[in-house]
Amino acid sequence: MVAFRTTDASGRMTGLLLRCVLYSLFALALIIVDKRYDHLGKIRRVLSIVAYPVQVAVASPFEGWDWFRESVTTRDALRADKTKLEAELRLAQFRLQRYEALEAESERLRALRDNTAGVTDRFIIGNVMDVDLDAFRERVLVDRGAQDGVFVGQAVLDAGGVFGQVARVGQLTAEVILVSDATHAIPVQVNRNGLRTIAVGTGDMGRLKLPYLPTSADVIAGDLLVTSGLGGGFPAGYPVGSVAEVKRDPAQSLADVDVKPAAALDRSRELLFVWLKPQAAARAASAPPGTPTTPQITPSAGPHNP
Amino acid sequence: MMRDNRIRRLPMALSSLVALTLAILPLPSGLEALRPDFLVLVVFYWSIESPRAGGLTLAFMAGLALDVIHGVVLGQHALALTLMAGWATHLRLRLRVFSILSQCLTIFALLTGYQFVLFWVDGATGNPVTTFGRWLAPVIGALLWPVLVGILSRLHER
Repeated sequence: MVAFRTTDASGRMTGLLLRCVLYSLFALALIIVDKRYDHLGKIRRVLSIVAYPVQVAVASPFEGWDWFRESVTTRDALRADKTKLEAELRLAQFRLQRYEALEAESERLRALRDNTAGVTDRFIIGNVMDVDLDAFRERVLVDRGAQDGVFVGQAVLDAGGVFGQVARVGQLTAEVILVSDATHAIPVQVNRNGLRTIAVGTGDMGRLKLPYLPTSADVIAGDLLVTSGLGGGFPAGYPVGSVAEVKRDPAQSLADVDVKPAAALDRSRELLFVWLKPQAAARAASAPPGTPTTPQITPSAGPHNP
Repeated sequence: MMRDNRIRRLPMALSSLVALTLAILPLPSGLEALRPDFLVLVVFYWSIESPRAGGLTLAFMAGLALDVIHGVVLGQHALALTLMAGWATHLRLRLRVFSILSQCLTIFALLTGYQFVLFWVDGATGNPVTTFGRWLAPVIGALLWPVLVGILSRLHER
């Protein structure tokens, strides 16, 4: 190694080339191991802890500004907010009145059909960190990680509907891939008639598409799409989006359907991480009919494991 | 020479850290695609300015940091940055006597090479990003180069 540190011009060049090749080979090996095998998960988790201070340092001024703006709001604005929230709460409560009964009924029916896929068990809430990950991939960083029991593939919702799923887990943070990412697909169902298909992201936060529907499919603008629960990743029955436009070209065999996502993909700050009920447990729970099975909300849960 | 290295390590680490924070600073979503690769430019600068203070090691570490922060396959940015920093180090003597315009053009070539390696690894690992937007970053990075040189040279020549 000492030889490579000489100031001699030709010596420097061979040293440079050698080191460049060595580092590149090491990087290539990393890529292959990370892609092919799952050994680097722990290393990445540790590295993500190292990256955490930087991410927090970037995010905190924005959080501070939000906090400052909130703490200097006028009384009138707060009152207007309160009135609005009360109205929203009334509406939500009104809609919830029959929820428990319906939930129990749905559980019983599912048990009859021996289909307990996609029943939610519990939630935790995570906050989106003010950090940009990648300009060309629709992802966000959330302040919940492996220590909260978050796992890869976990469904993530926001107040409007399905937001995405966990793509990568660090010790303290997790990356969530949005339903609108060009590589994301989610099994859905038209709420009006039960037609099943797959909604695929476009890379544009305001638009999903349904590429696998024939031109004759019964789908019209305004249809609500909900998760079908097929595939097991997502809980069933949560809104994914509404059909914005259906273009039917008689020359094509497939229709061109645009969907507007239900979740506020570009605005949501609080996200729900969802645990699905394990199949066996759900069956046992639904055996005595009428057992209350409301999902429990743990607002800032510690390390629970499903 | 050893003293020289030690003097330069601090501004090197500091500027890299600042560039790393700039790389993840939230921007409005329209501008996101235009964000230049700050950390890459900083690594190029140090590879050209004082390669003996560990330009390639810096390149590799910075690349790993970018991999972790961007959440892509580990080694992608490290590979691209190592290769291009090596090339920049190789060109450094010529670069120093270039006019500012030729410097910008060379940096543009290096940044495009960097994007190309990223593009290639993206494709090889099965999640290609084919939007045209990613080729804009090198243009903006090259335009930013004179400013960066001005700031960084002032920083470590004091």
